[in-house]
Amino acid sequence: MPKSIRLFLTALFLPLSVFAFGDEPAHVRPTLISEARSIAPGQPFWVAVRLKMDDQWHTYWKNPGDSGAPTRITWKLPAGFTAGAIQWPLPQRIELPPLVSFGYEGDISLLVQITPPTGLKPGDKIELAALVEWLECKEICIPGEGTVSAAVTAAAQPENDPALGEFFSKARAQLPIEAGEWTFTASEGDAFIRLTATKPAWLKETIAAASFFPDENGIFTYTAAAWRADGETYSVDLMKSDLSTATITRVSGVLVSRDGWRGAGSERAIRVDASVSGQAGAPAQRSTNGLLTALAFSFLGGLILNLMPCVLPVLSIKVLSLIGSSSASSTERYRNAGAYVAGVMVAFWTLAGALLAFRAGGEQLGWGFQLQSPPVIAALASLFFLISLNLFGVFEVGVSLTRYGGGKGEGPGASFSSGLLATIVATPCTAPFMGSALGFALTQPAWAAIAIFTSLGLGMATPFALLALSPGLLKYLPKPGAWMESMKQGLGFFLAATVVWLAWVLGRQAGAESIIVLMAALLLQSVGAWIFGKWADLSKPVATRAIAIVLTILFAGGGVAAAVFLTKGTPPAAEGGAGVSGWEPFSDARVAELRAAGKPVFVDFGAAWCLTCQVNERVALGTAAAAAKFKEKGVVTLKADWTSRDPAITAALARLGRSGVPTYVLYPSDPGAPGKVLPEILTPTILAQALDQMK
Amino acid sequence: MKKVFLAAALLCAGFASTTFADPAVGSKAPALTLADANGKTQSLADHKGKYVVLEWVNLGCPFVVKHYDSGNMQAAQKAAIDKGAVWLSVCSSANGKQGNLTADEWKKAVADKKINATAVLLDPKGTAGKAYGAKTTPHMFIVNPEGVLIYKGAIDDKPSTDKADIAGARNYVSAALGEAMAGKPVSTPATPPYGCSVKY
Repeated sequence: MPKSIRLFLTALFLPLSVFAFGDEPAHVRPTLISEARSIAPGQPFWVAVRLKMDDQWHTYWKNPGDSGAPTRITWKLPAGFTAGAIQWPLPQRIELPPLVSFGYEGDISLLVQITPPTGLKPGDKIELAALVEWLECKEICIPGEGTVSAAVTAAAQPENDPALGEFFSKARAQLPIEAGEWTFTASEGDAFIRLTATKPAWLKETIAAASFFPDENGIFTYTAAAWRADGETYSVDLMKSDLSTATITRVSGVLVSRDGWRGAGSERAIRVDASVSGQAGAPAQRSTNGLLTALAFSFLGGLILNLMPCVLPVLSIKVLSLIGSSSASSTERYRNAGAYVAGVMVAFWTLAGALLAFRAGGEQLGWGFQLQSPPVIAALASLFFLISLNLFGVFEVGVSLTRYGGGKGEGPGASFSSGLLATIVATPCTAPFMGSALGFALTQPAWAAIAIFTSLGLGMATPFALLALSPGLLKYLPKPGAWMESMKQGLGFFLAATVVWLAWVLGRQAGAESIIVLMAALLLQSVGAWIFGKWADLSKPVATRAIAIVLTILFAGGGVAAAVFLTKGTPPAAEGGAGVSGWEPFSDARVAELRAAGKPVFVDFGAAWCLTCQVNERVALGTAAAAAKFKEKGVVTLKADWTSRDPAITAALARLGRSGVPTYVLYPSDPGAPGKVLPEILTPTILAQALDQMK
Repeated sequence: MKKVFLAAALLCAGFASTTFADPAVGSKAPALTLADANGKTQSLADHKGKYVVLEWVNLGCPFVVKHYDSGNMQAAQKAAIDKGAVWLSVCSSANGKQGNLTADEWKKAVADKKINATAVLLDPKGTAGKAYGAKTTPHMFIVNPEGVLIYKGAIDDKPSTDKADIAGARNYVSAALGEAMAGKPVSTPATPPYGCSVKY
């Protein structure tokens, strides 16, 4: 048959090999990719079943959760070939209340290890095929299936396709890592099982949030469980499902975190396999320690607001006008006081609502609001710095709103609007406090943010309410005076101190240079604030104000932008790349030379696109402790950068029996002794042990 | 002020209608009153004194299709009714969502697919589904003659859309019905249901 006709027929029938039962074409396209292009008898190799899902369509994890079905692979392999179990990448929660499912969106790869028979004949062409069946769901579910295949050649030596190094490295980074030096324990409570995690001593970063995905369905319910931190240990309470009456003896599954189990940016999933023993206390209250302090400070802040220059002088007048005519009974006074408090609270809640909406919108855009992220710290530092400038009097905010004075009339309605407006009117003075509460609340869960604003509002409203209830207290009120301005300025120093603390945190997270970047950014911002204060106030002509505002946006906005975008930075630990203190570039000749001279050699094979390599370097190889240990043992460290898949490095890897990165090999000082290949996931402990056991 | 209270009351009422129950096995089965495909109103109380099997259905869901195309569901329905039970299929798909059919369309579907249920109940508002906590289709419940819930969960132990799995699967519903009718306690009273989500 002529080639053109064959091609035409193939093109015609190709779409039919992937189809879904339903009226529409499949929303998932599977392909089979083999990491090895040559396979050797008896030597296992890895393949990936890649699933590309259309936008908003998802497929399911091995435990699909409340609804759905996991993807199934039925292998069609030549005789003697066996396929292992699917290695599932980290799942995500798919919430469609009241259901929670576990699955995937976008582009994922299911990794499977295949073992060829020992009797494989080199030179044979092998066709690997599989039937992949899945359930694709967006709002409705459609079962889909497709046949995939890939060809490999049998050879005496196995050989991986270097072009696929990056693809498989990234796929592997999605797999859960073994528990390693994390310890997991489980204890039983009444209606829940408490899973406790203790982090390794060398891990400095915290795990801000994590979700547990159990291997089996029907044991736990899947409502979101709070991840609590308590110093070095974390815990999460998994609620037992009433569908399972058997006693739960093991907790097995995967914990997926936002940031990584070996520090920021590292692998995000870790295997959990803990046996249940011991009793757990009552379901722990949500970790409220930090929050209680924040609430106390917010309330205090609210109280202090009443002493500020824009609130205190008016306070006594307001009280007297609201308790109004002498005919006011105590019930009326209670009502008016209550309505005023309500007005203040509504103002604060509106602001809290606006904040949460902003954050939700930002999160949709992928912005993170965690305190572990340097840009967030830099943004908070900028915010507090600007607020301190405001308190010092460099510029004023919200003065134009004082035009809207308090409401007239008596009764609960008037009191309510009076409370509302009082808050607005006090904006020039409340802005600093609101701003600080705002900055902190951005990083907290929604209910905590609302609680903070409630506390602030209550703090502000309480003295007024108390005074309205018993006007006799008025005589204890401090008399307005110049001291109010001094107090306001003094508070600015507290905020400046907070900025210093945030700069220190930033330095720890993103390196000493980021502090300089932050200081430069704050300088730009202060220029903007000065311009705004001097030339943008209401007494200046419109044209001057307009120019001033533009310049303010340029300087202050530029400063904030610089703070946020330029502090992404790299963490303080050195990268360990070639050329950086102590690491020479790799070459076979250099290794031979050093070994002949009786020197121990450590080679780090890595690549820029290999996440695990980057994490290992940051966590175990690039630290000061590691450098000291290498020096102590007299080990020369070489770095092989496989980013562009250098054939010389590929060959060196093959000689070690490896075909990908990361690969770590430690050659002892005895030139005749073989090198020892270290595990792919390195920790400081593993490295130290390997170096100690050398020679 | 009155307006504020009214608004708050409406909000609470609205909230109540969206709450999702989860009746426990051994407790009294929630009340159920719905119109069936023939326009007649049926309620759970009407069938007191008999075993009632409730089956949440959505003919567009591939898991339900697996049981209907293979005849498995129809056979289970017939077997239960022959033993003296009442089988009510409930569709809680909201108007416009997958699985929602008009009474006439249901009559046609019953004839086409030879559905053997005693009645097909229409629940487009989802009140019955939420009262029972029906999460998936299929989701099965069995109520004994005294009105107590004795089984809730999946129809069988093979959660898939593959017809080939039916033969080797253990049907929880017929097992529970058999045990209860023989006076024995139900060995597996609750299982995790599987299927597509109910399209409320």
